[in-house]
Amino acid sequence: MILDIYKDSLEYSAKDWKTLVILGVICLFSFLLLPAFLITGYNYRVINTAVHGIINGRDPLPGFDDPIDMFVDGVKVVIVQVLYLIVPMIIFFVFALIAGNVSGVASSALMLIGCLITLIVGVAACLMSQMGICHMAYNDGAFSKAFALSEIKEVIDEIGWFECILTYIGLIIIVIVISVVVTALIGIIFTLFGISGAVLGADPSGVFVLGALVNTAISMFIVGPYLSIFASRSMGLLYTMQI
Amino acid sequence: MMASITDCVVEGLKYPFNDIKKLLSFGALFALISVVSTFIGAKSLDIFRAAVHIAEKTNGTVSHIPISQLPVGDMYLVAGLTIVTFIVSLLIMGYQYDIIKFSIDKKEDLPGFGDILSMFVNGIKYCIVILAYNILPILILVGGAALAGESSIFPIVLLISMLLFIIAYFLLLMALNNMIAHDSLKKAFDFGEIIDNISNLGWGKYVGIILFTLIVMMIISVAVGFILSFITVLFAAIINNQAFVISIVIAIIEGLFIDSYMGLFFNRVCGSIYRESIK
Repeated sequence: MILDIYKDSLEYSAKDWKTLVILGVICLFSFLLLPAFLITGYNYRVINTAVHGIINGRDPLPGFDDPIDMFVDGVKVVIVQVLYLIVPMIIFFVFALIAGNVSGVASSALMLIGCLITLIVGVAACLMSQMGICHMAYNDGAFSKAFALSEIKEVIDEIGWFECILTYIGLIIIVIVISVVVTALIGIIFTLFGISGAVLGADPSGVFVLGALVNTAISMFIVGPYLSIFASRSMGLLYTMQI
Repeated sequence: MMASITDCVVEGLKYPFNDIKKLLSFGALFALISVVSTFIGAKSLDIFRAAVHIAEKTNGTVSHIPISQLPVGDMYLVAGLTIVTFIVSLLIMGYQYDIIKFSIDKKEDLPGFGDILSMFVNGIKYCIVILAYNILPILILVGGAALAGESSIFPIVLLISMLLFIIAYFLLLMALNNMIAHDSLKKAFDFGEIIDNISNLGWGKYVGIILFTLIVMMIISVAVGFILSFITVLFAAIINNQAFVISIVIAIIEGLFIDSYMGLFFNRVCGSIYRESIK
């Protein structure tokens, strides 16, 4: 089941390179703040398509029409994520506050327990927030559904907590591996160019600068958008895995 | 039936684009206010400077300077400009009244500027309701500050009045809606109906949608502020030693496009919330 999700998502995100480039251009302007929300809004659309679609089906990539709608969806997604992540942060601060007021071994022990609890709650909060966003998308964008904790818990119970967490962690690993491998490959290619150029007596610094530029461009315009669509699609498909 | 209450935020964000001309006419009012208040600020500074100068020469305090020694022309100018600002603000509020009215009636076009007199009257009504709802927290704040002085009660007074300001704000929005829907000033203080409307929609939903709208507005204003500061730097690099001109140009841009857009957006959403609440 998990591998099916990954396979479908990897193929799905590679459907249209134009979409990736458009997302990359939006990402380039995200320092203006508003485009950043367009990107989260687009990912929300991907989730929306996934939760209403079927795995290994012929779902199309969502379009870029109606940017205002996309922006508002993006704001919704960010609010949901922030509100869920506040919980582990508060737990961490409470422990840090208590640990700061006691001394000696108790302090370190408390801090350790606090970090562990924060980690567990943090993973749960990440998962819940993703599932909450999926649940919101499934219920036609009703904001309150993102915080219907008991319903979301039921959904995760039906999929199975273990599968959910496994899929989530696998997702993170795939994202990291792909980005590291691509960056390393381009780096190696340009290093080889540079070395061979240096052997032939040319100044290699230009080649290295070019390599860095190409690397940034590829990760921004191709790999980054690809991975973000991949992640959203996977979470959306995971949501549809209820019995 | 709307799928989600946030759809009215989407609708509100699109609404100003239905008629760019009216958006800009509304913006002209904001631009006028911005420019006038920039002048007021500059002129007040001149007056203060003159006052301090005289006080320095005579070794007296500023409050003991006879009026005749101050730049009287400037003071009349400031007073006149302040009145102009007030009148234009009333017109803006009157236009906002119309925006909410159009939103409640589900009209797609933007209100016109034909009837200035009724705009003015509506503006006065709008202004009265805002003042009436804020008078209690203001009184508590001022009275509490006067009574408490420097003592430790003051933070508590501050907290209470802040809380009252927030509660008043949420009631105020529904009160304005209620007044405009029935076109009667009395309905703005019909607390039974106002609270009925809100509970009909659900308090969580009501507060949530308003907070959501405010967050969207905040994001847009931060982004716009970022871009405007960018333009300011650009202008400043091109034109030297013209800080006054630059600030006026920026104020005009902001009033013309941003303030008017935000006004239309927010009041449109408010009207939609009312429409949802009486379903």
